[in-house]
Amino acid sequence: MTTEPRKLKLPARRDLRTRRSVIVIDRLADGIIRVGGLCVIVAVFAIMLYLAQMVVPLFTGGGVTAEFARTTSAVPAGPTIVDRLDDYRTLAIRIDDGGGVSAFHLATGTPVEVPQLDFGGNRATAVARTLSGDDLAFGFADGTVRFARLDIKVAILAEDRVPAGLARLDARDRSDGTAVYSSLPGAQVRRLSVAVDIGSPVTIGAGVPIVAIDLRKGGAAERPTTVFATVDGNGIARLSQAETRTNLLTGQARTTTGTTVLPALPPSLSIVAVAITDKADQFYAADRGGMVYRFDTRDFAAPRLVEAVQLVPSGATLTTFAFLNGEQSLVVGSSAGTVDVYFRLPRADARTQDGFALVRAHAMAPHAGPVTLMSMSQRSKMLATADAGGHVWIRHSTSNQTLLKLPPAAGEGSAYTALMLAPRDDGVLAAAGGRYHAWAVDIPHPETTLRTIFGKVWYEGYGEPVYTWQSSAGTDSFEPKFSLVPLIFGTFKATLYSLLFAVPIALGAAIYTSEFTHHRVRATVKPAMEMMASLPSVVLGFIAALILAPFVETWLAAVVAAAIAIPFGLLAAAYLWQLLPAEWALRHGGALKFLLMFATIGAAVGLAILCGPLVEYLLFAGDVMAWANGDIGGEGPFMLVLLAVPSFFMVEAAFTRSLGDRFHARQRGLPRHQAGLLDIGRWLAVALASLLLAYVLGLGLAAIGLGARGGIVDTYTQRNTLVVGFAMGFAVIPIVYTIAEDALSAVPEHLRAASLACGASAWQTAVSVILPTALSGVFAAVMVGMGRAVGETMIVVMAAGNTPLIEMNVFNGLRALSANIAVELPEAVRDGTLYRLLFLAALVLFAVTFAVNTVAEVIRLRFRRRAAQL
Amino acid sequence: MMDGRATLRVPAPSRAPAARPRHASTDLAALGEPYLWTLGGCLALGIAMVAGLLLLVFWNGALTFWPQPIAVLELAGGERLAGVETRGGTYRPRPDVVAALPPTAQAVVAQNRGLVERTLYRTGNFDLYGDDFRWVSSFQIAGIQYPTDMLFVERLEWGVFIGRLRSFQVGAGEPVQAAVSDAAFQAAHAVARARAQSIRAIERHEIGRINNTLERERLGARRVAFDHGEGSGEHQAALARLASLTSRLEQDYAGLAREVERLKAMDAQDRARFADVGGREKEMPLSQIVRLYAANDLNAVQQVAIYLARWWEFVSDEPREANTEGGVWPAIFGTLAMTLLMVVVVAPFGVVTALYLREYAKQGRLVSIVRISVNNLAGVPSIVYGVFGLGFFAYFLGGSIDQLFFPERLPSPTFGTGGLLWSSLTLALLTVPVVIVATEEAIAAVPRSMREGSLACGASKWQTIRHIVLPRAMPGIMTGIILAMARGASEVAPLMLVGVVKLAPELPIDGTFPYLHPERSFMHLGFHIYDVGFQSRNSEAGKPMVFVTTLLLITLITAMTATAIVVRARLSRKFAGSQF
Repeated sequence: MTTEPRKLKLPARRDLRTRRSVIVIDRLADGIIRVGGLCVIVAVFAIMLYLAQMVVPLFTGGGVTAEFARTTSAVPAGPTIVDRLDDYRTLAIRIDDGGGVSAFHLATGTPVEVPQLDFGGNRATAVARTLSGDDLAFGFADGTVRFARLDIKVAILAEDRVPAGLARLDARDRSDGTAVYSSLPGAQVRRLSVAVDIGSPVTIGAGVPIVAIDLRKGGAAERPTTVFATVDGNGIARLSQAETRTNLLTGQARTTTGTTVLPALPPSLSIVAVAITDKADQFYAADRGGMVYRFDTRDFAAPRLVEAVQLVPSGATLTTFAFLNGEQSLVVGSSAGTVDVYFRLPRADARTQDGFALVRAHAMAPHAGPVTLMSMSQRSKMLATADAGGHVWIRHSTSNQTLLKLPPAAGEGSAYTALMLAPRDDGVLAAAGGRYHAWAVDIPHPETTLRTIFGKVWYEGYGEPVYTWQSSAGTDSFEPKFSLVPLIFGTFKATLYSLLFAVPIALGAAIYTSEFTHHRVRATVKPAMEMMASLPSVVLGFIAALILAPFVETWLAAVVAAAIAIPFGLLAAAYLWQLLPAEWALRHGGALKFLLMFATIGAAVGLAILCGPLVEYLLFAGDVMAWANGDIGGEGPFMLVLLAVPSFFMVEAAFTRSLGDRFHARQRGLPRHQAGLLDIGRWLAVALASLLLAYVLGLGLAAIGLGARGGIVDTYTQRNTLVVGFAMGFAVIPIVYTIAEDALSAVPEHLRAASLACGASAWQTAVSVILPTALSGVFAAVMVGMGRAVGETMIVVMAAGNTPLIEMNVFNGLRALSANIAVELPEAVRDGTLYRLLFLAALVLFAVTFAVNTVAEVIRLRFRRRAAQL
Repeated sequence: MMDGRATLRVPAPSRAPAARPRHASTDLAALGEPYLWTLGGCLALGIAMVAGLLLLVFWNGALTFWPQPIAVLELAGGERLAGVETRGGTYRPRPDVVAALPPTAQAVVAQNRGLVERTLYRTGNFDLYGDDFRWVSSFQIAGIQYPTDMLFVERLEWGVFIGRLRSFQVGAGEPVQAAVSDAAFQAAHAVARARAQSIRAIERHEIGRINNTLERERLGARRVAFDHGEGSGEHQAALARLASLTSRLEQDYAGLAREVERLKAMDAQDRARFADVGGREKEMPLSQIVRLYAANDLNAVQQVAIYLARWWEFVSDEPREANTEGGVWPAIFGTLAMTLLMVVVVAPFGVVTALYLREYAKQGRLVSIVRISVNNLAGVPSIVYGVFGLGFFAYFLGGSIDQLFFPERLPSPTFGTGGLLWSSLTLALLTVPVVIVATEEAIAAVPRSMREGSLACGASKWQTIRHIVLPRAMPGIMTGIILAMARGASEVAPLMLVGVVKLAPELPIDGTFPYLHPERSFMHLGFHIYDVGFQSRNSEAGKPMVFVTTLLLITLITAMTATAIVVRARLSRKFAGSQF
C-alpha cells in the first residue's frame, strides 16, 4: 500500500493527464452547482427581506416630493373666505368676502379669469362650505343667506380638439386665459374651467347679521336636501332644512324650506363657528372663549340644548372648529396651539340631558403658536393645520400622528390666510395675499403606525380605545380599523384549542407506538398516521365546516358526553383487564388488547350518543344552546366535569403521597384477581373523591367569578373553535406523532434493556427512563405541531366563521392571520394600506413559525447529539 | 450471538425463584395498566379518526354516482312528491305544528321528547319549484311508492328533472307518445345530442379560432405602433393588413354563424314533454338532456353502466351549473399541469442545492445554520408563500415582463396577474425545502468510502457525483420529489392568491399558438372543493360533487404519498444491507 503513491510520482510513461473535456465538465458542474445552490439559498431567504421591504412604507410617515413658492397677481380684494384646489392640483381658487373669485395656475402663478359671484355689493359676514367645496353658503349683514355653487369642470379632449392660440404656461399646461389645458399621455388633453352659480337671498333673521353658518348637502339625486345652520348677531341659532323635489313630468323643481329656532344661547357670546351633522340631528355652536354648545335637534320641531362644555385650555381662545370627514370627529384648534379631536359618545356619567358627552379622543401634538387655519381631507381622516408662525402640519386623526411638519417658507414670518389640503391628499397650498407656497406630498399610509397596528386605538363611535380589525366598508367616510391584535389573538386561540386536543392524543399515541407495540404493528401504524399528514387541508376544512359543524351543533351534548365517556371507558376497561389472570393477560397483551381498546372507544361513543339527552339534562338544564347563552341553568355541573380531570390527578397524587406505599404493600400480598378488585375499589373511591373536590372547586371558582360560562363557553355559533380545533387536530396530530415517535425510538436500546433488566416493568421504563431522555425531542415535536397550527389556512377559512373577535369562547368563531390574508388579499388594492398590512400579517406569520421551528430544530438536534452520546 | 444467548439461558433452568410467590403479577401499579390503556386509547382514537375520515369520504364519494331509486311520497295533505332520499335527521318542530297533528302522531312526538324524524328529498325541478331539496317529516308521510315510470333526467340547465315522459317530437312532426325505452326516442335523443355537440364544436373551436386570430392581429398592429411609432409606414401597413384580414374573417364568421343558426333551429324543434309527479308539464329540447333513466326500473347491469358513465363524465367533461354538475376535467388538468411544471422547476434546483450543501460547501457553522433554516422553511405557512408569489412573481416580475414584452396588451395584464406559471413557481418555492432535505439525507447516506474509492480511481468530483453518488441517492431524491408533488397538489391557500379561478374558460395548454399558455389562470381540484362547498348557490346540491372531488384528490395524493413511503422503506432496507 505504501509503495503505490511513490509509483505515481515516477515519470509517466502513460499519459496521466486528465482529458480536457473531463476538466471542463467538472469545472462547469462545479460552477453550476455552486451558483445554483447559492441562488436557491439566497432566493429562499430573500422572501423574508421582500416581505419586510413591502411592509416598511407602512411606518414611514410620508414626504414632500416637490415644493415651491411663487407670487401671483390674482389676489383677492378682500379677506379670503373660501379656498379651493382642484383634483389635479392645477388650479387654485380663492373667494373674498365681496364675492370676488380669483384663480391662478398653481405651478406658475399665472392668473386665470373666472366668473365672479354677485353679492349685490354686500359683504359676506359668514361662510360655509361642504367638504368638497362645491356647495357654498354665505351669510350677510342684513340677515340673508345665499347659496352658491363653485364647480371645477373637467373635460377630457383629444389633442386635435384643443383650440389654437393657447398661451403656454409650463411643459404640461396651456391656457386661453379662462381655462387650463393639461396634456395627458396618449394624445389627450384635460380641460379645467370654473363655473359659479349663486342663488337669490333667503332671509333668515331679518336685519340681524349672520355671524356663523354651516351647510350640509344630502338626500338622493332626485330629491336633494340642504341643511344649514346659522347664528345671528343676537345669538339666535337657527336650523333650516330645504328639500327640493323635481316634478318628473314638468321638470319643475320645488323647494320647501323649514326653519326652527333653537333655544337661546347665553347673551354676550361671540360665536365663531357652527357645525351640524349630515342628518341635522346635532347642532354645535362654538364660542370664542372655548365654550361649545350642543343642541339635540333630532326632533326638528323641539330642539333642545343638551350640553355646554369648555373645549380649549383656560386662557386660550377657540380659533378653529370643524368636523372631520364623516362628521363624527370634531376638531378644535385653539390660540394655545392645541388641536384636539372630540367624539360625541354615550357616557354613564355624562351630566348632559341626552346621556351623551363630548369626549376628547385624541390630543394631537400642539403647535407652538395659535392655530389659525385648518383644512380637512375629503377622503380620509387627514387634516392640515397652520399656526400663526407659518408652520403647516399635516396630521391624521385615527393614528394621532403628525405626518409632516412643513417649516415656514423662508422670509415669511407672518401667518397664512388660506390653507388647502388637496382633494386627493397629495398636496398642500398655503397662501397669504399674492404669495403662496405649495407642497406636493406623498403620504401613502397615514393611518398606520406601530401603535395603531398593535395597540388600542380610539375609533370614531367607539366608547374607548379598542383592538379592532375592519378593513373596508361601503362609504368614503369609513374609518378603516387596522389592528392586527384580533387576528393574532384568533391565530393564538385556534392554535391553543387545537393543541389542547391534538397534543395529548398525539403524544399518547407516540408513546404507545414506540414502547408498547410490536415492531410489526408499528411498521403499519406509523405510515398510516403519516398518511393523515398528507390529507389536503382543504378537505379537512370542508369536512369540518359542512359535515362536522352541523353534526356537532345537533349532537353537542353527545360530544361533551363522549369527551367524558372515552377516557372513563378506557380506564374502566383497564381496571377490568387487571382482573384477568396474569398469564392470559400477558399472552393476549398485543393485538387483542389493542382491538379491545378500539371496541372500548366504539362502545364509549355509542354510549355517549345514547346518553346525550341525559347529559344535556344533567349538565345543561335540558338545552345546551340556551345554557351556553346564559339563559338557563347553573354553572355547577359543567364546572364539575371541567374540573374532574385536574381534581382526579390531585386526589391521585394525594393518595400516592399519603397512603400509597401502605396500599401497595397490602396489595402485593394478594392474589391477582383480589388485587385487581381492590384496585377497582381504590379507583372508584379516588374518582368519587375527585368529583367531590371538583364540585367544591367549581363552586369556589364560580363564586369568585371565574366560571366557565361567559369565559371559555358562551353563545354558540355553528362554525366555532371547537370544530376548528377538532379539524386542526387531523392536521397537527400526525406531525406531532411522527416527530415524537422518532424521538422516543431514537433513545438507545441499551437504556431500555438496562431498565428492563433491573426489573422495571415496560410502563416504568417508559415513564422513568425513555420519556425523560426523549423529553427534548418530544417538546420539539409539540413546537413543530404548533408551527403547523399557527399557519394553517384553509381549515380556519372554512370552519372558523372569520369573525375577528377577542374572546376565549370555544363555541365562537375566530379570524386567524392566515385566513385573513386568504380572504382579503385578492381584493386588496396593490400597494395600498390593506395590501401592505396583509404583507405585514404574512411577515408576522413567517417570523413566528420560523422562530418556533428554529427553536424546535435546535432542541431536536441537541437531543439527537445527546442520544447518540448515551 | 449464539454464545450470548447460551449464557443468558444458563440461569433459567434453576427453579429457585419459582418457589417464591411472583410479585410482579400482583404489583399492579408497576404495570400501569390504566395508563397503558389511556395511551393505547390515544393511538386507537387517532387511527379511528383517520379511518373514519377516509371512510366518510370514500363512502360518500363512491356512492354519489350510483343511481338511486325515486320515491313518490303520498303526503298527509294529499300532495304528492317525488324525490331521491338524500339524508335523514331529527329536529324539534314548533309547538303549533305539533298541536295541529292528529293525536296518534302527537303521542309519537311526545314519546320522542318533542323530536321528529325527517328526511331530505332531492326533488329536482328547480325551474318548477324554485328549490332542489325538501325536508319531509315522518308524520307527513302517508305512503311511499316506487313507480317504474318515474324518470331521473339530468339536464344541462336547471339541474335534475324528476317526472314522467309524456311525448316527444322530431322536426316538424307531431308529438309522439313514448316511453324512455323506445328505440325511436333514444335515437332522437342521440341525434339531438350529437347535433348539440357539433354546434358547440363550431362555436368553440372554429369561431373561437377566428376570434383568436383577430385578437392576435389587432395586438400585432398595436405592437407595430409601439415599435415604430403611431402612424408610421409600418403601422399603416399593419392596419391595412388587419383590415383586409378582418373583412375576410368576418365572411368566414358569417358563414359559420349561419350554419350554427340552422343547426339551432333544427335543435329547437326536437323537443320532449315531461310531467312532474303532480302533473305539471315541462317541455325541453332533447339536446338539453344529458342522460335520463327510469330509476326504479334498472337492472344491475344498467345501474353499473350508468355509474361508470357518470364517472367517465366526471373525469372527462367540463363543469356546468356553477361547477355543481358535470365533470372536473379542467380542474384535473390544471392540477396536473401545475404540479408537473412545479416539479420541472423544483427537482433540478432542489437537487443542485442539496449537492452544494453536502458536496461542495465547507461544512461548518454557517452551513449548519443554512441547513436548519432550509429545514424550517418547510414549516413556514403556505399562505406566506402565496403572499410572496402575488407580490413578487405576479405583480413585480409579471408586471415588468408585461411592460417589456407585452406593452400592446396593457393595461389588461398578461403575466402581471395570477397564472399557471406563477402558481407553479410559488409552489416550487414552497416545496423546494422538502426536496433539499430528502436529497441531502439520501446523499449523506451514500457511504463515504464509495466516494473515496471513486476519487482514488482518478474520477473527477463531478464524475464521482454523476456516477457514484447520484445513482445511489436516486431513490431518496425520488421520494423527496414525490413528497413535494403531494404537498404541492394538496395546497390551496397560496393558489387562491396566485392564479386559481372558479372557472377557467380555456385550458393552459391548447391548440392555439403558442400551445402552452403559462400566463393563463387555471382550475384546481382543491380550490374546486372550496368553491363548490362554500361559494355556490346551493351547497346542498354541490355536496355530492365535493365528496367525489375530495375522493379524487385524496386518491391522487395518497397514491403519491404511499409511493414515497414505499420507496423510502425499500431504500432504507437496501442501504441497511449494503452498508460497508
